Amino acid sequence: MADKAILFDATKCTACRGCQVACKSWNEREAVQTTCQGTVENPPDLSTQTWLKMEFREVGNNGDLRWLFTRRSCMHCKEAGCVKVCPTGALFYHPSGFVSYDKHKCSGCGYCSQFCPFNVPRLNTNRVTGKGVMDKCTACTTSGLDRIDNGFQPACVKTCPTGALTYGDRQELVATGRDRVQQLIVQGHTNAYLYGEKEVGGTHVLYVLDDSPSVYGIVENPEVPVAATAWQDILKPIGYAAAGLAALGLLLNVMVARAKLLSKEKGGK
Amino acid sequence: MQEVERYRKRAIVQHWLIVLCSLLLAITGLFLFVHWFGPAAWGGTSRIVHRVAAVGFVAVPVLYMILNPKSSLEWIKEAFTWGKADLGWVKSAPTYYFGFDIIPMPPQERSNTGQKMWMVVVIMMGIVLVVSGGIMWFGKGVVSTGVFQWSVFAHDAAFVIAGAMFIVHVALGAFHPRFSEALRSMITGKVSVHYAKDHHGKWYDRISGGKAE
Repeated sequence: MADKAILFDATKCTACRGCQVACKSWNEREAVQTTCQGTVENPPDLSTQTWLKMEFREVGNNGDLRWLFTRRSCMHCKEAGCVKVCPTGALFYHPSGFVSYDKHKCSGCGYCSQFCPFNVPRLNTNRVTGKGVMDKCTACTTSGLDRIDNGFQPACVKTCPTGALTYGDRQELVATGRDRVQQLIVQGHTNAYLYGEKEVGGTHVLYVLDDSPSVYGIVENPEVPVAATAWQDILKPIGYAAAGLAALGLLLNVMVARAKLLSKEKGGK
Repeated sequence: MQEVERYRKRAIVQHWLIVLCSLLLAITGLFLFVHWFGPAAWGGTSRIVHRVAAVGFVAVPVLYMILNPKSSLEWIKEAFTWGKADLGWVKSAPTYYFGFDIIPMPPQERSNTGQKMWMVVVIMMGIVLVVSGGIMWFGKGVVSTGVFQWSVFAHDAAFVIAGAMFIVHVALGAFHPRFSEALRSMITGKVSVHYAKDHHGKWYDRISGGKAE
């Protein structure tokens, strides 16, 4: 399967939140009871039940007010921090390139939530026992609910009425996104940017923005944490080598000492 | 055979209780450290075992220290008291531990240099493991992700150091022919006078009031 992607064009989004509802519907997520926070943005945050939500931002622009809408969900990184640190194989790359997840393999350790540069994975673990599991968007690749493998679009894309969300081969969507960004620059949006083309090795969710990512509340220059690399690629190999050398060295040492001291004892007698 | 007391009963009980907790912690920790063992952690039961054992790992030495403050303090002091005999140990050890007596081993205190190294590792890495583990247990979502990330790193680094030294400890304590009475002494609490003189000359002189020879 070729690398797939979702393209979110923020300039075409009306924040109808059909995607939020379709996501819950397809992925069997419950609605969350919330209270009014003085904004139409709802629910307030991602959770194990809310894998996708639209963020609303009011941004001043030379005396003008802009109302910006940002998709908040898993970015499906090519070099995903969560996959790198997941100890049990619960998080993995789907053949489509999306970062998929098998909750039956989750131990609830929550490393994914702490090593994600986008703060996406959420847990409902008990604080004392630590029991519980993580949940996040799988781009509709959850086993048993896999739309991608069956040739369908993700639920959020399928339901989008304005064409803000499109799905297809990543390569093609990158080209589409670049064209659209060029168009926006020509129209006077000089900071227009295709987010996700290069970030964290390239993400499988791409954003067309008519302004810089920070205006949209999106992390600029996200990175897999240094601690993840130091831990997985340096410390672990050292750990295996240290244990192996200690065990082998001591086995040799004990055997030699045993032979030597035994012969000494015999010689002494 | 004449014997001398090396460990008190309560010290022996403490030792094996810590062994029990440490092994449970190490095994359930390895489920998350070694990717091949990952399936053993599915569902998260091993993480609960890890936390129960962690409580024991902290409670046992803390209770021991409260009940036996004097001997605990002495033990800690001993671990960090280093002198000339330690230099002699370093010179002699490489051949001595392979069964040769080329460079004579200078008389050692109650704990020899190698044992003190292990004690220091246990104290220092124990502290690192407890602090970083505490952050991982109670700090998720409270401390910054950077602090959490480096706590995980510190937790695993301390485990690697303590784990490698643990292999040394078991090999020497239980299997090495030079330390024929080490394991027995951690069960019965006693070693023969001959063994005490041979391995811990300074200590034996001290407890026997210099009567030896």
